[in-house]
Amino acid sequence: MTVATRVRRSLVVAATLLLPATAHAHLVNTGLGPFYDGVSHFALTPEDFLPALALAFLAGQRGSQPGRALLFALPGAWLAGGVAGLLFPAISSAIALTTVSFILLGVLVAAEARLGTGVVLSLAVVIGGFHGYLNGAAMSEAKLGALGLTGIVTTLFVLVSLAAAMVVAIRVPWGRIAVRVAGSWIAAIGLLLLGWSLRPG
Amino acid sequence: MRRAPRSTVAALLLLLSLPALAHEMRPGFLELRETGPETYSFLWKKPSGGEVEIQIAPVLPEDCRLVTPDRQQLSPGAVIVRGTLTCRGGLGGKRIVVAGLEATVTDVLVRLHHADGRLESHILRPATPFVSLGEVTSTARRALGYVQLGIQHIVLGVDHLLFVLGLLLIVSDRWMLVKTITSFTLAHSITLAIATLGYASAPLPPLNAAIALSILFLGPEIVRVWRGESSFTIRHPWVVAFAFGLLHGFGFASGLTAMGLPKAEIPLALLLFNAGVELGQVAFVLLVILLEKSFRVLEVQWPRFVAQLPGYAVGTLGAYWTIQRTLVLLVGAR
Repeated sequence: MTVATRVRRSLVVAATLLLPATAHAHLVNTGLGPFYDGVSHFALTPEDFLPALALAFLAGQRGSQPGRALLFALPGAWLAGGVAGLLFPAISSAIALTTVSFILLGVLVAAEARLGTGVVLSLAVVIGGFHGYLNGAAMSEAKLGALGLTGIVTTLFVLVSLAAAMVVAIRVPWGRIAVRVAGSWIAAIGLLLLGWSLRPG
Repeated sequence: MRRAPRSTVAALLLLLSLPALAHEMRPGFLELRETGPETYSFLWKKPSGGEVEIQIAPVLPEDCRLVTPDRQQLSPGAVIVRGTLTCRGGLGGKRIVVAGLEATVTDVLVRLHHADGRLESHILRPATPFVSLGEVTSTARRALGYVQLGIQHIVLGVDHLLFVLGLLLIVSDRWMLVKTITSFTLAHSITLAIATLGYASAPLPPLNAAIALSILFLGPEIVRVWRGESSFTIRHPWVVAFAFGLLHGFGFASGLTAMGLPKAEIPLALLLFNAGVELGQVAFVLLVILLEKSFRVLEVQWPRFVAQLPGYAVGTLGAYWTIQRTLVLLVGAR
């Protein structure tokens, strides 16, 4: 198979994953202002909330240093992606791709994968940037702007610090098993959502 | 708890992003009382006299005709319109919209008293500024509405949260934290009850300026804590929390009194609104404490200026609001 064929096939797969999702863009309007709309959007959107939670668990499993690095890398990447999405909104939803990201992260948490800090941070930058871009585009579409994005990133920062620290602080073996079980649930939810988003019709 | 400055950056980010939301938060009130066949007494209260005038008005169904004997009355904190509403076929199944609500951050309580004693109660929010009448509201649903109103009042009332944050930055240990938050809660519950029951009231513009001043007051105290100095406030923060809590209670009360609730409803509304305020406050305190603990577990070393940012935010925003609200007091609302 030539490189051109591989690229073409990858584009077809990506397009297949993206297309069914365009109708799923949704934003919760709390009526409490754009900041709170951003907070609600993040908290009530599993495609955003679950990968962030899984990444926090993954970093926490590796100790305080990756946890600390993630605390700044993930919100930073999310914010950068979000600003790009606000300025150049092209697509605001790609549920299949975002779901794939948290299936992957759920599996890594369930396996308690021994990843280095660099790998965890790379995942954070790629996933954070991508999700942030979609959020930024959605905020632009809903005219919630920078304040909505600030709500999302603030909630993300709080979530990552609480979740990563909770996992780092776990000392009992069953606690670590519980985190791995949570990872498997995240992956399972991801599979269900993926099946839902790819259903015909 | 003197490590708190390091722990509250996220909370501060949340707070800093909200000054733009200093809008009118007190709810409006629309009461319709069936007085005869297809006839209703009409009472509309629009909150006014705050820092920002809001433009909201009920849009009545097409089959209805409103007759108002006089134009409108100005009462402390509200513009009141009374009249008689005649609706062909009654109000059942008809839709009421509050125009302009979607551009605000406030709610409107709509109550319909049927002639047979049934009561309908709906809270209209900016996201859903309309309601279809005809459905009787259960006590549990009304109760939940008051709790939500209380939570919303404190969550959006950034000045109250900033005062609580200031207290958290001053208290030195957990026992003192419990004492301080309890005395703040007790004090604002007292004045909330007194004001809601109608025994006392405070005009809104000077009250808002005094609340801002209470936040500004904490700024220099936080700086004293950093310098290792002592003061009466640092030694006995619960006394200050109690004294200023009395002021903040009048502020919370504005969320209920503007509605002019019927007397029979006041005890339930007061209890549950206060419960909502306390829930919101406890959640905020727990969030700040948990964040502080998380940063310690993750061994985050904040640069000095970041660690001091929450304290400066308390002082600066307190000063800003004091000046702004004093100007509103002197010049009038925008």
